[in-house]
Amino acid sequence: MPSALILLLVLGAVGLVLAMPGGRTDRGRLGLVALAAAGGVLVFTAVNLAAGERGLTLFIVCALVALFAAVRVITHRKPVYSALYFVLLVAAVAGLLIGMQAEFLAAALVIVYAGAILVTYVFVIMLAQQARPTLCDLKAREPFWGCLSGFALLTVLAGQFFLGTAAPLPAASPAEAAGTVEAVGTPLLTQYVVGLQLAGLLLLAAMVGAIAIARRRVTVEEELELEGEA
Amino acid sequence: MLVPYLLLGAALFSLGLIGFVTRRNLIIIFLCTEMMFQGIIVNLVALGRYPLDGRPTFDGQVFALFLIGVAAAEAAVALALVVLLYRHRGTLDANAWTALKDE
Repeated sequence: MPSALILLLVLGAVGLVLAMPGGRTDRGRLGLVALAAAGGVLVFTAVNLAAGERGLTLFIVCALVALFAAVRVITHRKPVYSALYFVLLVAAVAGLLIGMQAEFLAAALVIVYAGAILVTYVFVIMLAQQARPTLCDLKAREPFWGCLSGFALLTVLAGQFFLGTAAPLPAASPAEAAGTVEAVGTPLLTQYVVGLQLAGLLLLAAMVGAIAIARRRVTVEEELELEGEA
Repeated sequence: MLVPYLLLGAALFSLGLIGFVTRRNLIIIFLCTEMMFQGIIVNLVALGRYPLDGRPTFDGQVFALFLIGVAAAEAAVALALVVLLYRHRGTLDANAWTALKDE
């Protein structure tokens, strides 16, 4: 495990603990500076690991945008901004998928995530909007222990990537075709057709469940009472 | 190029986990599960593109498509639950539900 990676993990953990909501503003700024330094180390590590490989520039740009957006999602005090940063994260991940020649999947990700799921999230945030930022957004729960456990997991995973690969890592086969609709759709509709049907069934069940859960009759009296309170 | 992609996927998953355990807003908590899905999608596609036995397939991309479907189903049910909980207590704070019973 290269020492640059250890430095990256430590800087990221310290920066994230400081940047979590609940601390003082100047500490939050310091945390963002530490996270930016971690981003610099990340660029250095990636260039060292995969120098001269095709698509490295796209990977570095998309990875930095994705990590920045991910950090802002979990540190921003306003839920709407968190949701918007998540849209940025989805866009960066779509860029990464294009770098791996998964064009159809990138398009599907943007359409389904940024187009459908996130709109639902923003809709619910608007529905449950409070006038001022509430305590549950301003104060994180145990930021130190949360960051410690998360970065412990990340360290174990990263260590495995380096310790467990005694054999030379595979390079991409140059003959591989792009992930077009045909290339992805053919196994989807032949080899995995049962899974496809089950996914449809799952979505139907989720839709029925969501309607059943969120439905609640509001009588006219309750409606008037709510209006009177407002 | 396999290891950088796997590292990024692991980082996104860990950041989602950190957000999941530290944030107290129910909507942000579910947003963090979606973030973990993003990390897993990157991993799946990377392992399909750079497979360990040297034969690239589209299985990783097909599986990632299934994952997007599951994420959509999860978002629908989770947000319906959030709306229901918000109607009961008038707050999105997860700490308001530690007792798990309705007074």
